[in-house]
Amino acid sequence: MSNLTQRDAFWTRIFELAKKDRDIVIVSEDMGAPALDQFRVELPEQFVNVGIAEQNGLLVGAGMALEGKKPFVYAIAPFVTLRALELIRVECGIMDIPVTLVGVGAGFGYEDSGPTHHLVEDIAILRSMPHISVNNVADAEMARAVADYCATAKHTNYVRLERKLTQNVYSVPPDIEKGFTVFSEGADGVLVASGFMLQPAKEIVAGLKARGKDFGLIDLFRIPANEPELVKTLAAAKKIVSYEEHFLPGGFGSYLLEIMNDAECNRNILRLGVEHAHGYNYVYGGRNEIHKSVALDVPTVIDRILA
Amino acid sequence: MDKAKLEEIARALRREVMETCIRAKTGHCTSSLSSAEILTVLYFGGLVRCRPAEPDWPDRDRFFLSKGQASPLLYVVLAKMGFFPEEELKKFAQVGGMFGVHLQRSVPGVEITCGSLGQGFGLAAGAALAAKKDRRLHLCYALLGDGELYEGSIWETAMFASHNRLNNLVAIIDRNRQCVTDFTENIVALEDIGERWRAFGWNVRRVDGHDVAALYDALADLRTRPLPGPTVVIADTVKGKGVDFMECVPLWHGLAPSGDLATRAIQQL
Repeated sequence: MSNLTQRDAFWTRIFELAKKDRDIVIVSEDMGAPALDQFRVELPEQFVNVGIAEQNGLLVGAGMALEGKKPFVYAIAPFVTLRALELIRVECGIMDIPVTLVGVGAGFGYEDSGPTHHLVEDIAILRSMPHISVNNVADAEMARAVADYCATAKHTNYVRLERKLTQNVYSVPPDIEKGFTVFSEGADGVLVASGFMLQPAKEIVAGLKARGKDFGLIDLFRIPANEPELVKTLAAAKKIVSYEEHFLPGGFGSYLLEIMNDAECNRNILRLGVEHAHGYNYVYGGRNEIHKSVALDVPTVIDRILA
Repeated sequence: MDKAKLEEIARALRREVMETCIRAKTGHCTSSLSSAEILTVLYFGGLVRCRPAEPDWPDRDRFFLSKGQASPLLYVVLAKMGFFPEEELKKFAQVGGMFGVHLQRSVPGVEITCGSLGQGFGLAAGAALAAKKDRRLHLCYALLGDGELYEGSIWETAMFASHNRLNNLVAIIDRNRQCVTDFTENIVALEDIGERWRAFGWNVRRVDGHDVAALYDALADLRTRPLPGPTVVIADTVKGKGVDFMECVPLWHGLAPSGDLATRAIQQL
């Protein structure tokens, strides 16, 4: 597996597809990527830069989609989503025009940039709308699989990409529509994580093991997932812990509570995420320092699970 | 272009819009009345090429009603063109009806759902860009309200469209000078609108929006003699045109008259 960032893996795959499908167009809101440099040179007719104009970017993409194009609207994650939110609601939610929204910088990905560039509300907001699916990408392998999926999707997909290089966790493409992958099972419980958080999650599972607790690990990467299967999987776990870089209201943990409740499979879920009491984050010095400030760092999480 | 015939059609559209809204007790009458000649010229003057029996005809011209609140007018136009039975107008905003107060994409002949301002224009620009890339020759028209020009997205799209030389995109601004609560020049002044659009790189034409001949002349050559970039036609109109107690009274925005006023409105139209 190549050592690519998620966005370079994603755009490299889209470039391959776009060479054979001239309806694939990238609508960049003045956002680049090393993998896009070649795209812009070889397929200039399929690359549109609208400038830092997220509303127009969404509208131009949606207008092109009305004409049968397959637009990928691309920017830093908080801007491609929240800056254009009401337009996404009208075009992608209400009208159900298929647009792929590609955002770089999920969670605290822009760790040194402060809260304007952090994004810890998007999953709650976008998953509330019909016809829009949230894809929180774990690694380069998944980025390629999501790219393939979006190129033929009939509805809007929001692709949430990590900014920096992530460790590879997949050796084969995941089942996108299933929406989750069980990496391991555990006699004492299961940890449900996603995206970048799979990396500390693996350390947490190892740390728990060292302290005598056997936890499994699930990657929940898409909402909506195959909910009956996910409920069945979770119902078998002795303890359920969700772990996310997102405000607690409406995030992945909330999603698990909802689907378990609706399946009449009520379980306590320990939801570990960013609490509103922590507010917006101005901690610098790296992702781990931010995690420490919101009690999501590995040692603290192990203690919280064992408490 | 048969001027007298188009004028008679515009009058008939106004009457039908008013009857439709009075019957439903709702609908944006005044916003529709100001645009009557514009839509008459576009549809009945033959400027919007379309096939009522084949609403999704790939080579049709696209008409984006960005001021989606004027939906009663567009619905009346489409019914008279034969896109759907005129009987449907009687169910406007009623139980079992196929459309309500704002524009709905599911209606034959309608391109977009629209009620939130500042969006139809950008969608039109995207559709125009797609047409350019596919070397297709249809035009994309967008009808904007002047109050809609307060939306920042309009200006994002305006500079994008001129930069990309979208001369298949035609914007028409219904310059009725009123918004919801007041006149635009009292809220935040929009004039000189023409200079603003020129500064954004557009070809600008300004006409009396109730003069069918002037509207036709401003629009008709844009297909056969395309200009280097996009064109905006600023159509000076009167909001509530044709009904004396509604003309130039901002607070009639979004309302339909009832009782004696309803009778008076119909008589005047």
